[in-house]
Amino acid sequence: MKIRAITLNTFKEAIRDRILYLLFFFAAAAIIFSRLLALLTVGDRVKIIKDVGLASLSLFGALMAILIGTGLVYKEIDKKTIYTVISKPIHRWQFLLGKFLGLMLTLVVMIGLMSLIFLIVVFAHTFKLEPRLLIAILFIFIELMLITAVAILFSCFSTPILSSIFSLAFYLIGHTSWGLETLIRKLRPGPWRSLAQFLYTFLPDLENFNFRTEIVHGLAIQPRFYFYSALYGLFYTAFILVLANMIFRKRDFV
Amino acid sequence: MTMARKSSSHIKGDPGVIFLTAVLILSCLVFMTLKVRCDQISRSRVPGSAIIYLPSGKYLKYVTFGYSSVLADLIYLWAIQYYSNYAIPERFQYLEHIFSIISELDPRYVDPYELGALIAVYEGNNLELGLRILDMGLEKNPDQWFFPFLAGHLAQLRKNYELARAYYKKAMDIPGSPEIVKRLYAFSAFKTMDLETAWRTWLEIYETSRDERVKKIASNHLYQVKAAIDKQIIERAVALFREKYGRNPYSLEQLKRTGFLKEIPKDLDGLDYLYDPATGEVRAAQIWWKR
Repeated sequence: MKIRAITLNTFKEAIRDRILYLLFFFAAAAIIFSRLLALLTVGDRVKIIKDVGLASLSLFGALMAILIGTGLVYKEIDKKTIYTVISKPIHRWQFLLGKFLGLMLTLVVMIGLMSLIFLIVVFAHTFKLEPRLLIAILFIFIELMLITAVAILFSCFSTPILSSIFSLAFYLIGHTSWGLETLIRKLRPGPWRSLAQFLYTFLPDLENFNFRTEIVHGLAIQPRFYFYSALYGLFYTAFILVLANMIFRKRDFV
Repeated sequence: MTMARKSSSHIKGDPGVIFLTAVLILSCLVFMTLKVRCDQISRSRVPGSAIIYLPSGKYLKYVTFGYSSVLADLIYLWAIQYYSNYAIPERFQYLEHIFSIISELDPRYVDPYELGALIAVYEGNNLELGLRILDMGLEKNPDQWFFPFLAGHLAQLRKNYELARAYYKKAMDIPGSPEIVKRLYAFSAFKTMDLETAWRTWLEIYETSRDERVKKIASNHLYQVKAAIDKQIIERAVALFREKYGRNPYSLEQLKRTGFLKEIPKDLDGLDYLYDPATGEVRAAQIWWKR
């Protein structure tokens, strides 16, 4: 009940943020623009539309999560509204979880609207519904869930600007950490290799949620990969949220 | 002090902290295990999908915000890994596109042209593609003799001496090119049977070089070229003789006596050529490179 109240309040607060609409406008423009971009290609136009559309969903969704998420907790502390909340019989983890779920709800609405525009644009071109695109969107959403948790983690102890930079770095690391595999193959067995191996396993691998290429090209994906990827996203998010909670509960607001 | 100890013991004994730490460690172990599990499942990949949709480097340059050479480095590093992967048989399909992107992003970066050409010729077995990449390098770096030199070398390896000669000529004309380029040019001129150019070039090398070893090489090649010229003259005379008498001459002296040869040519060392009346073939008394 308490979490639900914070969730709804966070949602109401987030949807009043102008930056959300600005990002939504750019995302929608990019998705619609993909149709014009497709005119410039030689060959499969639908591929360009799908590529640009899914990339817009992922990129602008991540920006929404980062730019709004990094300010969520900080704003409460900065405006001293946190005192009103923590003076109530509510645990700090409930507050944090409510914030997280509120932003997730905002993202559900935003990604839902963007996906609708995207699917209409694709349908206008192919005249058929492609349910596989929904899988790609679902995994984009799981990725956004993790990024939201990261944004909230940084928001617990840092300013919005620094948190945005850290979250963006997390996003970039997440999409490039797979390159460590090549390094591991080149390293001789020893402490450096073990360190690289550990980093490779520990650092986020956001490519596990990236099914865009396979889905656009109609390639087969093993169902258990969906399962493990989704679980990976959930547990990584849980890890980040627990860490955020540990930091947040240690904060002294007096 | 007492308060600090109290606070420390409070945290140590706080069941909330213990629980959260346990959850943190557990979730960390679970997601690391899941990561390993995910890696064990092979995913269908579109070969080169990471890069084939990149636009031309000309346009890509505008979005690098001044970091075009860094991007060129990254694409080059990626390309090295990509082309070392033998599991992608069709990887050579995008070779020109990838290396042209690098060349547009950082035109003075010479290594990618060289490597791209070597991959195209040795791995992709496509001489034309390799030469196109090197031409691209020369176009962007007209002061680099190395590009036409390597192009000539690759063409020579594929026994396309006419092409090799043209590239060596280009390399020779670029200031700073080493002396060996001229030697290779003379060699390919000989191979294309442009004996006059071959003779002239080897003679120039012989006369201008200060290195005794190079002089010896030039001298041997001059011997070879002269032998080839003389052989042509003698064999032409033998053919005319055969046409008139219906048989080969018994000796080279007979060719002189009958007026088919004004003089019997001698090799560069003043030795007679060896003539076989049975076949009409002529050959030098020495092997040119063993002199």
